[in-house]
Amino acid sequence: MELSKRSLIIFCLGWLVSLALMSSVAGYYYMEFQNLTELLKRYGSCVMRVNICVDYKEWNGTVVWCNDTIVPLGCNLLQATKTVAIVNSTYWPAYQASFVDAINGVWKSGTYFWMWYHWSAEKKMWEYGNVGADRYPLTNNETLMWRYEVPGYS
Amino acid sequence: MKMVKIMEGKRVALLTVMASLCVGIQIAPRLPNVEFTSIICFLVGFLFGTLFGAFLGALTMFINGFLSPWGFAGTIMPFQMFGMALMGFMGGLYRKSLGRNFSTSKILNLEVSFLAAFFTLIYDIITNIGWALPSNTPIIAALIWGTWFTMTHVISNTALFGTAFFGLVRIMGNLLGENVWSCQKEA
Repeated sequence: MELSKRSLIIFCLGWLVSLALMSSVAGYYYMEFQNLTELLKRYGSCVMRVNICVDYKEWNGTVVWCNDTIVPLGCNLLQATKTVAIVNSTYWPAYQASFVDAINGVWKSGTYFWMWYHWSAEKKMWEYGNVGADRYPLTNNETLMWRYEVPGYS
Repeated sequence: MKMVKIMEGKRVALLTVMASLCVGIQIAPRLPNVEFTSIICFLVGFLFGTLFGAFLGALTMFINGFLSPWGFAGTIMPFQMFGMALMGFMGGLYRKSLGRNFSTSKILNLEVSFLAAFFTLIYDIITNIGWALPSNTPIIAALIWGTWFTMTHVISNTALFGTAFFGLVRIMGNLLGENVWSCQKEA
């Protein structure tokens, strides 16, 4: 099959279009990056970074890490988790705390619940969270984990 | 002589229908940047010549500027008119480049879809410039901000032209009942 000169010129135009579109997409993400970097610089003193792990091992064997998640200063664990996942929770007035019922559509079921831990840098081990997630204010660079499990105390 | 007049009447009627169709589809609710005006203008240019195509493109965008569900076009209108006129004009030029007799083939389908991609991009560049100049926005920034709209526009037009254009040419030929384009389907 022999292509005419016209076909070749038109195919070159198509190639130019794809180049232009790719450059435009690259430019778009570069501009977005610049805007967000600028925003982060402006609000740098009002935010902190935390690492959040969601452990679904008992559900489907996966573990998801959301490292360097940027959250507002003074944010609690529940608010931070909501920035990285879809969370369903129930507020219990008697405990003045919220109980997490589901994360990303994985609901508490039978003896399985969503429990949270924080990483103790001193002891080099995970420690059970002993309050509701909305009662636990985070600190900068803290590492936390949600685990779908049968609680150890049950 | 009488036969010639009947043919002219058919052409004028068909052109009017195409213009109405163009305007009707253009002002109907639709996904942003998915449009059928380009293919109709290109088709009319292809069938009736460069000037007819350009005229239809400019006229459609002029009317669209007032009636569009997205609001009054304002200062961008002349740029839209120019861009769509160019689309119709290029339909006529493409027809000339094919010569009197041509056979539809996959290569021609590819050609027309690539041409559509190119002139849709040109149209978007022209209209983005039309938006950037009055609002004192850097042109490059305006083009980049519109990336996803341009992408939608180019991809939808590429697919539409590639799949429908020569089919429409044949249908229009049958409607007119004349073989003025000498367009044959490749065996």
